Amino acid sequence: MVTQYGIKLAVHIITTHFGELVAKVCQCLLQKGTLTLGEIIRFSELTPQQVKNSLLVLIQHNCVQAFAIEQEGAFGEAPKVVTQYLLVFENIIHRMRFSKFLSTVSQELGKECEELLEGLLQHGRLTVEQVLSRATSNLNEGHSAVQDSVRKSFIRLASARYVERCPASEPFLALPTDEETPAKKRGPKSAKVAEVLETIEQRALAAAVPMEAKRFLIITNSRTNHGENSEQSTSTEKLGEKRKHDVLEVDRELGAKVCEKEVLWRPNFEEFLLRLRNEVCVANVRSRMDEGAAIVLRAMLEATRASQTTVKAENSAPLSLGTISEEVIKSPEGRSMTLERIKASLSQLGCKQSVDELYSIDLKSIIESAQNDEVESIVLKRYGREAYRMFRLLLKTCQLLETDKISDTTFVEKKDTAMILYKLWKDDYLIMEKLITQGPRQLQFLLWKVNKQTLWKHVLDEMYHAALNLTQRMAYELDQGREILQQAREKIVGESKKKFERLRKVRMLLESSLMKLDDAIMLFQDF
Amino acid sequence: MLLFYLKSLFAGMNRSRETAPQKRKRGDSNSLTQSPLDAERILYDLIKKKEDSGMWTGDMKKETNLPHPVVTKALKSLQTRNLIKEVVNFQNKTKKHFMAVEFEPSKELTGGAWYVDGNLDMEFIRELKKQCVNYINKMKVATIEGVSEFVKKSAVFNVECTTQQIAEIMKALVLDNEIMEVRSTGLGDHHSIPSGTVCYRCSSKGGQGGGLKVGGLASVPCGVCPHIGECTPDGKISPKTCVYFTKWLDF
Repeated sequence: MVTQYGIKLAVHIITTHFGELVAKVCQCLLQKGTLTLGEIIRFSELTPQQVKNSLLVLIQHNCVQAFAIEQEGAFGEAPKVVTQYLLVFENIIHRMRFSKFLSTVSQELGKECEELLEGLLQHGRLTVEQVLSRATSNLNEGHSAVQDSVRKSFIRLASARYVERCPASEPFLALPTDEETPAKKRGPKSAKVAEVLETIEQRALAAAVPMEAKRFLIITNSRTNHGENSEQSTSTEKLGEKRKHDVLEVDRELGAKVCEKEVLWRPNFEEFLLRLRNEVCVANVRSRMDEGAAIVLRAMLEATRASQTTVKAENSAPLSLGTISEEVIKSPEGRSMTLERIKASLSQLGCKQSVDELYSIDLKSIIESAQNDEVESIVLKRYGREAYRMFRLLLKTCQLLETDKISDTTFVEKKDTAMILYKLWKDDYLIMEKLITQGPRQLQFLLWKVNKQTLWKHVLDEMYHAALNLTQRMAYELDQGREILQQAREKIVGESKKKFERLRKVRMLLESSLMKLDDAIMLFQDF
Repeated sequence: MLLFYLKSLFAGMNRSRETAPQKRKRGDSNSLTQSPLDAERILYDLIKKKEDSGMWTGDMKKETNLPHPVVTKALKSLQTRNLIKEVVNFQNKTKKHFMAVEFEPSKELTGGAWYVDGNLDMEFIRELKKQCVNYINKMKVATIEGVSEFVKKSAVFNVECTTQQIAEIMKALVLDNEIMEVRSTGLGDHHSIPSGTVCYRCSSKGGQGGGLKVGGLASVPCGVCPHIGECTPDGKISPKTCVYFTKWLDF
């Protein structure tokens, strides 16, 4: 369930990028959930054509996934198939962080790959032919050489899993059988409905994804490379084999043409999140432990890159000490690390050695530590150092603690302790329970605890709210300074120059703060 | 005859009345024994029984049923005779609490080693924290026992600091994120500490000026704004009209 300000932020992003009509359809899907075309028309109060065009835009930009679902017929009628549309909320929020994705590719694969990715981010989805056309559109000559270079860069992007084949446009979900849904028969009606809807959305997204073997597959026309070898092989091949070879060659050419012309490609956001999550883990370990532990962690994550398929994996894939050491010494910083030092770092990282002497890292605990740091930072700034100590105590303890116990452990006066805890409780950072003892003399105790699940959701909503505020303030500041911005740079003098300078600093501060805040949003939403 | 009976009945009554005064006298003699001296005796015995816990005046009145002025007067007299003393209950400084002079107030009353006159001895706590952090900084990594030894040998403080007290201070420093609890690897900086032993090192400070690193939300005005709940895109409190934003963007 998307939070209140999550919805507002998503609608704001779509409004800014695609206009109010598309944003209205987006809002409808966010507030009501997965809907049919008819339902969207009814709830959005737009015309059918407006809704269709808006859906096409949202599908093109990977924000909506359509699927066909078989539903039970009423009153003994045969089951019917309806098309529903589900909004992919995360892909809308990703639009705020395209610059981070571009930066990742630029650092890893170079400028040309970054430019190709930029095209895909701008257009949502493209065929390879469209990518090539875009790359050569400004050129007058040298098309062939440029096209080959672009193809090679595209293959590099696909091999690194940064781009993927688009999902099926309308996967089919059959009626679940009785064996598949025993849970539907238990529990209250509303819970049943919620459970079924969640399962349908997950099923739809899973059904739409291409098979793993095909997802990153590009069929290329390698005639040029094969042509160099063909004269050598002809004299030695038998006639039948040559005929078979020619048929395969024609198949390959056709396959390559189909792949380039008809297969749509899009950015694979999952891979970017994986890379960014790994960076967050390494940065957190560097700040909490030391550089050595960060180098070892980075090496382990690099070595297991191919097996990393899900962002929320709890542990890294197991590796032997030998493999870890080989990977560590590949980097300039790791070259000087001895085996003993590596072992010490593994111990620091809390690595558990399995029976067959393989090491893996608990990534979930690193992410949790980063999340705790973020929330503690808010408490420190908002409520002060004493509240910070109390909050950290309750977060570590994960159980109800009585006021006096908190006061004693954190060295805060008893009356101040009660006041601070009350403030934290009022703002939903803590939950409170009253305990009244029975007997001749009734005593009342107040017990306090952090409810992480509720609090994390509340913090994420505040982050969305802050992100929305930053973008709105930016738009306001730019609007206020539009006259200065419209002038030619050399004509801005005197008082206008001061205002221009201020506007430049304002923009830099707001943009960098938004990017830093977005790192925190990813920590709670995606990792 | 009836008259005689009635006379004898009244006589009996008189006798009983006669005796009643005697009884009253005896009662009177009880109230005499519950004279100020008796009240003092009762209260003193009660307070003494409580040893180092002492007793609140309210509880004294409940148990003895003595009227307030009697209790007040008796306690004052016992204090003057140096038999009892008033002590501060750190949990409730307004309640008058007394104990026999030969006892020292228990930890439940004083709050323990950290309290002076019913308040936390913040200067002592601050100084002790500083000594612990300086030592850990110097040694790179240290155990509670190591820190405790150092503090005892340094003789910086007039009072003795037990290992238990040092442990409490270290836990508070961990909560402050000044130090971190780790397990010794037995290697490098940990070479003098057996592998697996709980020890402490100074936290890395990622932020500017050596302070704690500030998170994404805490870095922007909205992260610390007390009015975030009332802030809406086009409301009275909005990002466009926000004074905190204006101040933040005032270069």
